[in-house]
Amino acid sequence: MLPLTSLGKSGFFPVFIMASLGLTFLAGLLGTVLPSLDYLPVIGHTRFSWSPWQAFLSYPGIWASIRVTLISGITACVSAVGLSVLWTCCAHGSRTWALFEKALSPLLSIPHAAFAIGFGFLIAPSGWLVRLVSPGLTGFSSPPDWIILNDPYGLSLAAALAIKEIPFLVMVMISAMGQLDMENTLPAGRALGYTKEQIWLKILIPRLYPHIRLSVFAVIAYSFSVVDMALILGPGSPPTLAVQILKWFNDPDLSLKLVAACGSLFLFALVGAGIAAAFLVEKSLGFFLRSWMTNGRRRSILTRLKPLFFLPGLGIMGITGAATLLLVIWSLARQWQFPEVLPASWSLNFWTTGLVSSFHPFVTTLWTGMAAAFAGLVLTIGCLEHGAGSKRKGTRNLNTPVFYFLYLPLLVPQISFMAGIQLSLVVLNLDGSWITLLWSHLVFVLPYLFIVLQATYLSYDQRFWDQALLLKRSYFLALFRIKLPMLVRPVLFSFAIGFSVSVAQYIPTMVVGAGRFSTLTTEAVALASGSDRRALAVYALLQQALPMSIYALALMVPKILYYNRKGMQV
Amino acid sequence: MKQMLLGVYFVILSCSPALGAEWEDIVAAASGQTVYFNAWGGSQPVNAYIEWAAREVNEKYKVRVVHVKVTDIGDVVSRILVEKSAGKNTGGSVDLMWLNGENFKTMKENNLLYGPFSRKLPHYALADIKNKKNLLYDFTVPVDNLESPWGTAQLVFLYDSRRVPEHPKSMGDLLAFAEKNQGKFTYPAIPEFHGTTFIKQALMELMEDPEVLNHPVIASDFDAHTKPLWDFLDRLHPRLWRSGKIFPGSASQMFSLLNDGEIHISLSFNPNAAANAVENGELPPAVRTYVHASGTIGNAHFVAIPFNSSAREGAMVFADFLLSPRAQAEKADPRIWGDPTVLDIQRLSTEDRALFEAIPKPPATLAPEDLGRVLPEPHASWVQALEKAWLKKFNQ
Repeated sequence: MLPLTSLGKSGFFPVFIMASLGLTFLAGLLGTVLPSLDYLPVIGHTRFSWSPWQAFLSYPGIWASIRVTLISGITACVSAVGLSVLWTCCAHGSRTWALFEKALSPLLSIPHAAFAIGFGFLIAPSGWLVRLVSPGLTGFSSPPDWIILNDPYGLSLAAALAIKEIPFLVMVMISAMGQLDMENTLPAGRALGYTKEQIWLKILIPRLYPHIRLSVFAVIAYSFSVVDMALILGPGSPPTLAVQILKWFNDPDLSLKLVAACGSLFLFALVGAGIAAAFLVEKSLGFFLRSWMTNGRRRSILTRLKPLFFLPGLGIMGITGAATLLLVIWSLARQWQFPEVLPASWSLNFWTTGLVSSFHPFVTTLWTGMAAAFAGLVLTIGCLEHGAGSKRKGTRNLNTPVFYFLYLPLLVPQISFMAGIQLSLVVLNLDGSWITLLWSHLVFVLPYLFIVLQATYLSYDQRFWDQALLLKRSYFLALFRIKLPMLVRPVLFSFAIGFSVSVAQYIPTMVVGAGRFSTLTTEAVALASGSDRRALAVYALLQQALPMSIYALALMVPKILYYNRKGMQV
Repeated sequence: MKQMLLGVYFVILSCSPALGAEWEDIVAAASGQTVYFNAWGGSQPVNAYIEWAAREVNEKYKVRVVHVKVTDIGDVVSRILVEKSAGKNTGGSVDLMWLNGENFKTMKENNLLYGPFSRKLPHYALADIKNKKNLLYDFTVPVDNLESPWGTAQLVFLYDSRRVPEHPKSMGDLLAFAEKNQGKFTYPAIPEFHGTTFIKQALMELMEDPEVLNHPVIASDFDAHTKPLWDFLDRLHPRLWRSGKIFPGSASQMFSLLNDGEIHISLSFNPNAAANAVENGELPPAVRTYVHASGTIGNAHFVAIPFNSSAREGAMVFADFLLSPRAQAEKADPRIWGDPTVLDIQRLSTEDRALFEAIPKPPATLAPEDLGRVLPEPHASWVQALEKAWLKKFNQ
């Protein structure tokens, strides 16, 4: 063993992450639990009672709100998990899959709000799909009176959520595949006469799932508690529980804040129940399907249905592309009425005014995203290095508990604990500063960085590291001259992911930023509450273009850096 | 009389050294301050107007105004409340905010407002408090100079004249229109502001004795008084857009519906909204505006300074600029924003009056004289009672 003095200090990273995330979470919890028990001295409530809970449970339409949250959340999760698994089973290794893998970065980088806006333009009764066939095929001279958007069951919301979540799950699966020894499993299965789909279903997926389990839980939490997408695509009266909570928080009637706190805890419980249910489903599937998995049947019904399950992948690319195209057309439109397929008159006005007025939000978004992704990267690499070091030395690895802390922000509904955090920040006189805004973004950036970077980091060939240390005898030189340069592609890729997560933050920016920081996302959601679809389209496109350019950079930089290194071309 | 008032105004301005000197001190203190102006940011023309006004005060007074674009000003009220509870009595995050109605009521009741500042503003003397009672009573709550008037509003209906040959003139007509044109009208879901105003307007037109609306609601009489409204809505809802199963989130979303031909009648609080939207291509040129024969509800909107603002003087200077004839005339121009002025035009100097006379009157809007009677807002207690009843009945 080499004397590596610096390794002991790397324990700082996991401890720092656990302490600060734990405190943040506690502050949020306290600021929610106390008001839900009628304790909020600000508005003169100082006696504990159950009355907020009574008010919550008897609020008009609350059960409809809970119902639509459950329906849209469950539909989104089940279809996202199911379709991403089936799509992987059927398409992996095909040309469409390769295309999808290439499209993954742009797909992931599109902020939820921007996608929701474009998706709405596409599928509304007055949207592009209906326009394309009107009045020619349908005879509609004015849009049909159909409930598609903002439907009372939240199905359009569920569809949009699933479309955004499938690429995320596929990305997590791809990064976990590195640990599966697929190069041997697939040929072995083929040699035994199994179809490719059957190998995936019976052997690879059951081994893959544990690696994506936490991400599935995060998808559940997100689907149940999403606010910005639900504001745009979800039902209005009554809205989903998360939106209703936001409305209560913002209501001029201040006693509704107590009800909002109850709603937050209830939503938290719903997410918990959803996660528990997913866990039970996983275990019982594992139990009941065991005999099917080992029955030795080589063929799968999936082989025949294969073309069907190419649809999700193609559909996601098609719909996202069309939604983006529509944003472009709307941003250039002047007058555009139903059933015209293209605007009657065009204008660059909305771009010129939009670009000027978006300058400050643009700069804020850029710096905050850069800083959050960079700080996140430092912390993540610090933690992973600590993990690698303790593995080598056989010392205590603090990363196992870190994971649970890291997933807290993804598993707890944002709206639930952000309001509690706001109260704590004001008490500490820390609200409205850029540093706290950055921190609130970092909280959500970190887990994604971990998800993306961990797998590649763990599969890094240890022999390079040993060689580097032998030759250099310096931990830092080995890290910065050999290991990180070799990992530059995944590192930059995770940076881009972290950046796009920061760009998409709506609730933390609004709540922690005390309204002082407008980002492209807050501006786009604010404009979505207005009527001007052209100005809205400009902002949605800007919001979408920024992370996408960072992705493009993340892909290009390694290519340029290592244009003369054959082994580094991936 | 008018001459006399004008005289009084100049007397106040010139012969009251106290006020003049105080204002000079305020202007001096304001120089170099940054004012965080929290205001709804959902409308591009409004945002552009605020940007213009911010540029002007920056040049004239060295006051930097930052427009914090919010989706819902209620959110800002909560934040100020939280700041108060945390003992943050100075250096608050908001210096000036755009509000009225319930949000004002909440702020006033919770002592979240700075103080009676509007009487210190030189241009406040030009405000038409004599004829526009809603500048003194914000949704029946006395303003007490805690907020400074910015603009007035009146419920108007917008219609597509290609599709609606003769527009309704009352709630009864509107129901008849809806029965003949399935799905071509709707209103925003309660408790959205415009939606609430629509049902208040319906109640006023339909109830036997609208006088009771001026007094606090009496729970035992509520059902009897409001029965005509619920009967009306029960008949109207199945005829609405999406058969009344869903409602739009805001009046601005209804503009998009009107543009797409999904609905043929929409509503607004700004009599010039149609002209502005036609001007920038958001609505087709055939859109026109109307009001009901018996008059429609009107109110005013204001700017106010929170108790813990760190740039009070700057906020006052900006509020005063917003009241100036130049800023008010710019705002009233339908090509800019089209928000009606709070000033008494008759009391302005000839030069300033000319600014208002130069404003074009596009066919899409109603001239001030065609707006008919302005009905006062019902007592504030009715709002909550109506909202609660509506949510109970329809939010299922």
